Amino acid sequence: MTAPSHRRPPSRIGAPPALLDVVGFTKSFGDVHANTDVDLSVQRGEVHALAGENGAGKSTLLKMIFGVYEPDAGRMFVDGQPVTPGNPAHARALGIGMVFQDLRLVPALTVAENVALSLRTGFRLRMDGLVRRIEEASRSYGLDVDPRAQVRTLSIGERQRVEILKTLMAGARLVILDEPTSVLAPQEVQSLFEVVERLKAEGLGVVIVTHKLNEVRAIADRMTILRRGEVVLNAVAPADYTDGALIEAMVGRAVAPLPRQRRPVDPAGRTLLALSDVRTDGDRGYEALKGIDLDVRAGELVGIAGVAGSGQRELFEVVLGLRPLTSGHVEVRDVDGVPARPRVAAAIPEDPVADSVVPGLSVLQHMVLDGREVPRKGVGVDWAEVGRRTAEADAKVGLDIAAPRRTLSGLSGGNIQRVVLTRELSTFSPVVVAAYPSRGLDIANARRTQEVLLEQRAAGAAVLMVSEDLEELISMADRIVVMHDGHVAGVVAAADADRMALGRLMLGGAA
Amino acid sequence: MTGVAVGAPRRTAALTARTGTAARWLAACTAALVIFSAFILANDVDPLSVLGTIWTSVLTEPRQVEQILVRATPFALAALAVVVPGRAGLVNVGGEGQVIVGAVAAAGAGMWVGADAAPAVAVTVMVLAAVVAGGAWAGIAAALRLVGDVNEAVTTVLLNFVALYLMLFLILGSWRDDAAMGQATSPEIGPGAKLPLLGTSGVHVGIVVAVIAALVIWFAFTRTTWGFRLTVVGGNPEAARRAGLPVTVLLLSALVLGGVLAGLAGYVHLAGAEYKLRPTFGANIGYIGFLASWLARHRPLAVLVSAAAVAAIAITGNTLQISAGLPAASVNILMGLVLVAVLGWTSVRKADA
Ligand SMILES: Nc1ncnc2c1ncn2[C@@H]1O[C@H](COP(=O)(O)OP(=O)(O)O)[C@@H](O)[C@H]1O
Ligand SMILES: [Mg+2]
Repeated sequence: MTAPSHRRPPSRIGAPPALLDVVGFTKSFGDVHANTDVDLSVQRGEVHALAGENGAGKSTLLKMIFGVYEPDAGRMFVDGQPVTPGNPAHARALGIGMVFQDLRLVPALTVAENVALSLRTGFRLRMDGLVRRIEEASRSYGLDVDPRAQVRTLSIGERQRVEILKTLMAGARLVILDEPTSVLAPQEVQSLFEVVERLKAEGLGVVIVTHKLNEVRAIADRMTILRRGEVVLNAVAPADYTDGALIEAMVGRAVAPLPRQRRPVDPAGRTLLALSDVRTDGDRGYEALKGIDLDVRAGELVGIAGVAGSGQRELFEVVLGLRPLTSGHVEVRDVDGVPARPRVAAAIPEDPVADSVVPGLSVLQHMVLDGREVPRKGVGVDWAEVGRRTAEADAKVGLDIAAPRRTLSGLSGGNIQRVVLTRELSTFSPVVVAAYPSRGLDIANARRTQEVLLEQRAAGAAVLMVSEDLEELISMADRIVVMHDGHVAGVVAAADADRMALGRLMLGGAA
Repeated sequence: MTGVAVGAPRRTAALTARTGTAARWLAACTAALVIFSAFILANDVDPLSVLGTIWTSVLTEPRQVEQILVRATPFALAALAVVVPGRAGLVNVGGEGQVIVGAVAAAGAGMWVGADAAPAVAVTVMVLAAVVAGGAWAGIAAALRLVGDVNEAVTTVLLNFVALYLMLFLILGSWRDDAAMGQATSPEIGPGAKLPLLGTSGVHVGIVVAVIAALVIWFAFTRTTWGFRLTVVGGNPEAARRAGLPVTVLLLSALVLGGVLAGLAGYVHLAGAEYKLRPTFGANIGYIGFLASWLARHRPLAVLVSAAAVAAIAITGNTLQISAGLPAASVNILMGLVLVAVLGWTSVRKADA
């Protein structure tokens, strides 16, 4: 790693200046050093991958480039000229466009209206002209966007294309994509990458954040890895490094792969979770589950794949008894086969912040919010005993949760997830339902979480797990159930699962 | 990220946070006083002399301080009637009606046992009647919320009007005291039913009731499983539901207990201060209690302070009218200013965080 002693863009003699040069960006939030002396250089016609674990500082770096945050130190050059974006409007004027991790479109408006919001329009809004311009731009970049469609009706992948289109129509020459693939099905990733290739061919620069190495290898010319706010690999060619070396650069140490060998599912094992012809309505009144049949045996891990919003959330809620059925049955049984008391299942919610976190309460107080019996002392809770059990649980699960006195709502998503995982997985539960268990976790903690879930399986639990990461499902599950639009679109044995076939099922096609 | 060094630095952080809050309070009150002074100036009165008068003839005058404490007693209880449902995330704007209903029930119970009943009997029956009536009145709103999903902030306000007209119906009709020479009041409660004064002071024992109630609620919030669960329901109902807590029962208990406390406020005001129902009985106690609860940020012990503060402002109003010739409503301006300033200023903390 080179220490950047110079404070000018590091241009080679005779070469034209890079599209973007960031030199020595530094940013702290209180005690957190989110970026320390970070350099980043992007050429015209380059796809530059930015990788690193959660909290490594990727979004912070990009937000400084886009003028959302002001750097504490460091300089930035566009085409070799020193610039200070200061705010996103100025960054846009400099030719920088950013698609945020959380998409920011207005669902009730049409595509054209959303684009109009981001453009400088005169007093009169001339929609017809705008619609024509969107159609042109969308054709020339292969974006395939209907300007008259309401954003509400678009899939996540389509919305992302609208966001990209917005940046292009604002004149972006550098397009920044913050974790665009984490919400997409494999086919959608493919079509996103086709768009990225097109931008590259047009001579634009693209910065794309991802920690999936296969994606880096598929699309990136060069990659930069951040760890704890510092650059550990600067603009290297991914092909020069093995997967192991790149993961080690991100995590700071080697991470052993998940063991593939495990005890096969006993075909005579008891069915602990049984759903038959389950139907239920979603929050907005439409039918969210349209007749689901699903059995999970003791010692089996069933994975649920599907594009977000295919009924996964509702499936979990009916299993946990949180959502009434409109027809069908759900049976949750204890290991001995008797119908379970309520809350025999351990649950990792889809959105821990919305579903589990009570503002102002401590980590310790959250440890008793699992619906199981709470140690009592007189009229109150025996917090000393809860503390002892928490320490025990933490030691057993090994996710290294935050100090018990900390306020949970003040912690980052990954730290909240670790508290919920520790609470739910520290004791054996006959049925475990886990939604996106490793979401928000860095590689090491994600691996530990996967191990703990497999330990539950080995101990005889029936585990049902939703994940957006097909690799994770394939490496952990015994069977993968693909959901599409409230139906089971297909069931595949994980041993011979094929990513593209799963992807087709997720999008409603045939395998 | 995990638990390193949480001991000393955390404690100092908590301390600075607390002194910071106190400083903001002070700044907010000062700002309110400054704006109020400008208002006094605009009335051609010297603000310094007015503030001086407030100091010498209200805040350091023992008889006036006693008045403040007597006034503060129902305010504190009515504020607690907001604090308890507030802990569960409910908004009880029905203190006004629950106070009246409590007092009406107490007065009715007093008439039922008779003016010469033994004090112990009269007090017991009247207190029971007041808390049951207040609780039931809030229970109507709770039931509508839980069964019909009607917002309790709306129903409790509407029930305030029902309570007021119920009282008027009684004192203009069958409860009207013939001895009152045409005035619409209920008969005075019997001598045994009047709350005794503390020692030789003019302060009745209701204040002890208010302090004990605040302490009990503080204990319940911080030391009991019920209080913990109430915090969870109020903080994140979905988390409570997923943890299998009896959400319905908790919400119901919080709102009904709020009504019980407001009913108690009505009883204390009747038996300690007014002795009979009049058309203006209890006017604004519920609303001022609501303000006091917000000023205290729904903390049970802080409510005792904020109730005393609003009571002091209310008592000051009379003095201003008499000594400075300012309209009596001026004091409402001060009360409003203090409220807005304190709420605005102390919630800056959230924005910084
Ligand atoms: N606005 C903010 N305030 C305080 N801390 C922040 C803020 N934004 C990011 N951080 C912290 O900075 C670090 C880097 O975060 P981020 O750039 O979002 O990481 P990444 O995008 O790589 O996951 C994290 O520890 C995060 O908690
Ligand atoms: Mg990020």
